[in-house]
Amino acid sequence: MKMPRRRRREINMATTSMADIAFLLIIFFILTSNFAKENGIKFTPPKAPEIQTLKESRVSVLVDEKGDIYLQGKKVADAKAIEWGVAALLASAQTPEAKQVMFKCDNHADRSVFEPVIESISKAGGILVAIGDKAKATDATPR
Amino acid sequence: MAFGRLRKKRGETSIPTDSLSDIAFLLIIFFILTTSIRRTTGFTADLPSAQKTPPQTQQTEKTPTIALKDDTLRLDGNVVSLADLRTKLLAMNLAAKPENDRIIILETAGKVPYQQYYEVMALVTGTGGIVGLVAEDDAKAGAK
Repeated sequence: MKMPRRRRREINMATTSMADIAFLLIIFFILTSNFAKENGIKFTPPKAPEIQTLKESRVSVLVDEKGDIYLQGKKVADAKAIEWGVAALLASAQTPEAKQVMFKCDNHADRSVFEPVIESISKAGGILVAIGDKAKATDATPR
Repeated sequence: MAFGRLRKKRGETSIPTDSLSDIAFLLIIFFILTTSIRRTTGFTADLPSAQKTPPQTQQTEKTPTIALKDDTLRLDGNVVSLADLRTKLLAMNLAAKPENDRIIILETAGKVPYQQYYEVMALVTGTGGIVGLVAEDDAKAGAK
């Protein structure tokens, strides 16, 4: 005797919107990413034990291992150019957070190079965010 | 007589979209693999700028002064180590004081690498102090 077989239902996954989801993810990644401005510029960050994790700022100033100064990843002539550039970039800044300026400097740079830059950032109305790596208390330079 | 025109049947033009999701996911994988997630670490120092405060030609006696000159660290004229400086700054309990009493003057002279400067600035900021920089000027020294 033949037994009646149940017909299996075909299960289909809805893949029509897959491409839309994927492209939305790509757009999300592109919009939320911060593209590195200083790629290829060599500098060794200083270390200190008393540092925290911070939010990335809009304005960035860098002094590399050769003592060259960069504003937003572009080389500038001197610290005076930093003052004008930072002042222009912060012209529309209202909140203290918007006035933050990321300052990255090579740990061997001499004060004759970095001090005028820090002074310029301060004169332009920027709040200095000194970038460095976390060091253990025992790593600190003994004096 | 009806003139029957011979019409060519137009082939339907459609863009093949079957591989669109594959392309999109390949792009996502590319972005994920080539992105380096960086954490920004450091400290925030609100330096009293020339715009905010008028330059001072003479500092008050009360304001503690850290002098950094050619690898020597001094607090109010006395040579100290970084550990001593930390202890003394913590003892001052700067975080609990009003803003004007939290200012620590940082004087530099001679050759000072950024590493030393950074450690001292981080220490002052970390203990609740506000760094006031003193420029070495030929004519006169003024707080910025």
